[in-house]
Amino acid sequence: MAKIGKTLLKLDNVTMKFGGVTALNGVNLEVKEGEILALIGPNGAGKTTVFNVITGVYKQTSGIVDFDGTSLGSQKRYQVTGLGVARTFQNIRLWGDMTALENVITATDVHKKSGLVGALFGLPRARREEVENRARAMEILRFIGIDEYSDRLAKNLPYGVQRRLEIARALGTSPKLVLLDEPAAGFNPAEKVELAATIKKVRDAGYTVLLIEHDMSLIMGISDRVVVLDFGTKIADDIPSVVQNDPRVIEAYLGVPADAS
Amino acid sequence: MKIRNYWNLRDFGASTWENASRPVRVAIALISIVLVGLLPFMGGSILATPIASFDAVLVYPVGMFVLMSLGLNIVVGKSGMLDLGYVAFFAIGAYTMAILGTTTGLNTWEIMPIGIAFAMTAGVLLGIPTLRLRGDYLAIVTLGFGEIVRLVVLNSSWSKGPNGIANIPMPPNLGPLKFELENQKVFFWVVMAMIMLTIWMIRRLTVRRPGRAWEAIRQDEDAAELMGVPTLKYKIWSFTLGAAVGGAAGVLYASKNLYIAPEMFTLNVSILILACVVFGGIGNIWGVVVGATILGYLPDRIRFISDARLLVFGLVLVIVMNFRPDGLLPRKKREKAIVKKGANA
Repeated sequence: MAKIGKTLLKLDNVTMKFGGVTALNGVNLEVKEGEILALIGPNGAGKTTVFNVITGVYKQTSGIVDFDGTSLGSQKRYQVTGLGVARTFQNIRLWGDMTALENVITATDVHKKSGLVGALFGLPRARREEVENRARAMEILRFIGIDEYSDRLAKNLPYGVQRRLEIARALGTSPKLVLLDEPAAGFNPAEKVELAATIKKVRDAGYTVLLIEHDMSLIMGISDRVVVLDFGTKIADDIPSVVQNDPRVIEAYLGVPADAS
Repeated sequence: MKIRNYWNLRDFGASTWENASRPVRVAIALISIVLVGLLPFMGGSILATPIASFDAVLVYPVGMFVLMSLGLNIVVGKSGMLDLGYVAFFAIGAYTMAILGTTTGLNTWEIMPIGIAFAMTAGVLLGIPTLRLRGDYLAIVTLGFGEIVRLVVLNSSWSKGPNGIANIPMPPNLGPLKFELENQKVFFWVVMAMIMLTIWMIRRLTVRRPGRAWEAIRQDEDAAELMGVPTLKYKIWSFTLGAAVGGAAGVLYASKNLYIAPEMFTLNVSILILACVVFGGIGNIWGVVVGATILGYLPDRIRFISDARLLVFGLVLVIVMNFRPDGLLPRKKREKAIVKKGANA
């Protein structure tokens, strides 16, 4: 078990409204350094909305999102990534016509300084950064265990490898916090076990993980803490074994028994 | 041993180039440059164009089309933004040359950087507010921009309105190389040099960070932004570089034509240049070069059938696009990293 540290990400009373629909209603959430936090809830509970608010895709209607001492409210999406938040997508969104390696290299560019002029004239820094990026990207592919696919186009990769490449690409930005949006979607049980090991490995390498997932066995196996959302409201926040037996959680997932009402 | 498909020119060319050693590459490049450079002397051969002089056709439309198509390809092919107002940058370059050339003592080479700077400035000014748009919306805005530039020069006194500007000076001689109206070989070599410079620039950028950023933007802009690519910045760069090439082409065009008028900068030019890019193979430098060469050259080669030539031109477009919907030489889709080993490109 990795050591759980200080609070890395804090959502303070975050509300997100789309017209008349309240997707998030005063959500408080804390992610601590070095933990795997699972975010669960029935469909439409607002899980992906939480990711979108954190990464700057949506601007929250009210509330504060604080990451490592910086308010994310006014940051552009690429600046949020630069601060150390990376994500994967529920629907795979790799750059299909790039190779696996290029996908990761493109992500590693975020912390590099050289720009267009350096590239054009082959300035030393640009050349050095190209070499560094390439080495770093290859290292990440090896870490995730898909380095044998490095020169294949992303769109031609097997589904499972594409999902893993999404994680590799997110790690390419050297994040402190990795947001994984249903990384096991469409996986068979064997692949899920393998993925659970990968996620643990990612955490043990020093990344903090916030995870959206539907597969309970996966979540109960790897997460340090589970937060449950229902209709945009947080209804539980505890260690997996407690959340599992929380009557409100069971109610949210299974509905209230007819005789109890 | 793998059987090579010699009919697939793109992969054949690419694999030959990749397997070649450095001296072989240099030799191939030098021989090609010399061969292309000797083209203007082929005026007596089967390539000859009836009515128009052959070396004039090689400069305009062929050379200019290639140059502009390469510039537009940075915007449309590399970063996936549909620009229907590319002629505006060509016009800005041409009018810079015309006005400064007739009112100040500056010569073509001195005006060239000024024209490029004006075109790039226009690219940035147009880009900052509009490049947040995508696809069709961007196409409409750029189309509007192209028309605005044309209407401004048509209705302004400093541009002499619909009369246009005459007596634009020719470029001064480059040592023994003389610029003449009757003999446009030197113009052709200048265009060729500009084309090579543009190709060098695009190739440099493509294998490094800007190329990856453009590629990511083209394929999935939101994913690119969320993976830390400052998309607006790279889109503006792409737009501005395209503008620079268009502006440079415009300066040279005005200095070669000696006369320019607003009717030379209509939407048709933008569409035709876009057609060159799509016809040749959107996103592929060599495809664009081939496409622009054919589309520039063909109408003059078949000028003897006068009225029917545009019909033939249209038919060729339709037939080729039917059989090769991705263009003559489509963008590379080989399973090979565009990042070179050690990146010492």
